[in-house]
Amino acid sequence: MTVLITGAAGGLGRAFALECASRGWDLLLTDINAEGLERAARGLARQYDVNIYPVACDIRDDGQVERLLQYAGENGLKLDMLLNVAGIDHEGAFAGRGFDKIAEILRLNIEATLRVTHKALAFRRKTGTFRIVFVSSLASLYPMPLKASYAASKRFLLDFSYALGRELKSEDATVLALCPGGLPTTREALNGIEAQGFWGEATTNRLEKVARKTVSRALRGRKLYVPGALNRAFSIAARIVPPSLLAGLLYQRWSRAQAKRPAADFM
Amino acid sequence: MKTAVVTGATSGIGLAVCAELAALGFAVVGVGQSEERCASAASGLAAAYPDVPILFFRADLSRQAEVARVGGEIREYLEDRRFGRLEALINNAGCVRGRYTTTEDGYETVFAVNHLAGFMLSGMLMPCLISAKGRILMTSSGSHKGTRPRWSDMMLKRGYNPLFAYKQSKLCNLLFAYGLNERFGKLGISAYGIDPGLVKTDIGFKNAGGIVALVWKLRHRRGVPPELPAKIYARVCLEAEAPKGLYYGMSGEEKYSRQVNKRNADRLWELSERLCGMKLGADEK
Repeated sequence: MTVLITGAAGGLGRAFALECASRGWDLLLTDINAEGLERAARGLARQYDVNIYPVACDIRDDGQVERLLQYAGENGLKLDMLLNVAGIDHEGAFAGRGFDKIAEILRLNIEATLRVTHKALAFRRKTGTFRIVFVSSLASLYPMPLKASYAASKRFLLDFSYALGRELKSEDATVLALCPGGLPTTREALNGIEAQGFWGEATTNRLEKVARKTVSRALRGRKLYVPGALNRAFSIAARIVPPSLLAGLLYQRWSRAQAKRPAADFM
Repeated sequence: MKTAVVTGATSGIGLAVCAELAALGFAVVGVGQSEERCASAASGLAAAYPDVPILFFRADLSRQAEVARVGGEIREYLEDRRFGRLEALINNAGCVRGRYTTTEDGYETVFAVNHLAGFMLSGMLMPCLISAKGRILMTSSGSHKGTRPRWSDMMLKRGYNPLFAYKQSKLCNLLFAYGLNERFGKLGISAYGIDPGLVKTDIGFKNAGGIVALVWKLRHRRGVPPELPAKIYARVCLEAEAPKGLYYGMSGEEKYSRQVNKRNADRLWELSERLCGMKLGADEK
């Protein structure tokens, strides 16, 4: 097995890398942070006896993604799984921040993610099922004021994932959308969880468990994974409650949480 | 003048040990995580003990790159200003995490900070320690008892439990001390695990998260002030003849777990060398 993971230098990407390495799979890892990627790859290599190919790359750049996959080709790597983890969030009101930040969310979470997926499909192993995972978010299930672009970008991935899954059914590939709540990854993410108080704690998932179960579910060909019983209940409620009401409720929650801390970015 | 390096030196046990050793005439090198806390600890100690040199280095010991950097800086300082001698290294920095988190090196945080950082720093400062026939003290804990190392999953990726992670890391501290004595005893190095008992520190409030802060809030009230266990460290560092035991607490030498044995110590040593990317043996020097 060979797995391509984007955003592998930190957080969930690194947790996926550890999970896959512990299963004895080879890893093609990429991240925009070259130094961080190098460190993570070194740590992985010291823990597990697998082949690790770290290639730093800005997946927003077409040429760099080409080179990444060219590298894979030159090293004779055939992909069995693609974990699209790289993503970004800039919180805050839509009108309250520069458009460059909004555009960055769309470019990375949507355009770059689809670019990698599109190009990686050409490098899949011809035998055996190909597995694709999109890291969407619990936020994708609701309209989310103050995280509007982020939540909508994750919604894009969720819907896209279902649709692509259907398209690729005949080509022996499965697509899973992962919709986690908060994950204790970076210091900023932890601050964010704490600022949300009780609901932050309650919707937070265990990182190592999410990584393990996501990979297991992808292998079983599942289409959606919402980790955590409470989060699953929320995801079902989201289908019943009218969107305008949800937007109102979530606006209250996020404005309270954001008042408690300076706006932070997290992956 | 003797020199001591203390990690986790800006608060709790580390700070109290710095004060105790400074009072006994040691030049003190502290390592702390935050710039401000380092500055305030340094100025506080300098004011209280104006006759001894006090110097603080900032480093995030969860990151191996930082351990390597600060280890290099401290060694340079020791060689330039302290005749390349280090009488005492106190690997005290420790943390608890309510959830499974990984460092930038992809290691579980508690294991990385509580054990690997001390392993690496000891390795980097070993030449200076050997010159002074120094002593290496690890802040262990009575909680190391009743656990065994989970060799199949040391980073607890398959089932994280905050208490177990902590207990295992404290067992590792003792295993490391055991391994140090085996390998470097003939060169005059002595290593110890210290049991400070239940101490009123802020360890459970520092980025611990989850349920840990809540539990610690109730538990730490019953702890003793860090000045009391600091005396154990001072005693072990000062004794003219290096104490022969491995594990010391308030009441002197204490019993330790049967898991602290050569087999486990060697296995941990080998794993630590691999995870830190360095060889630490008496022959290499």
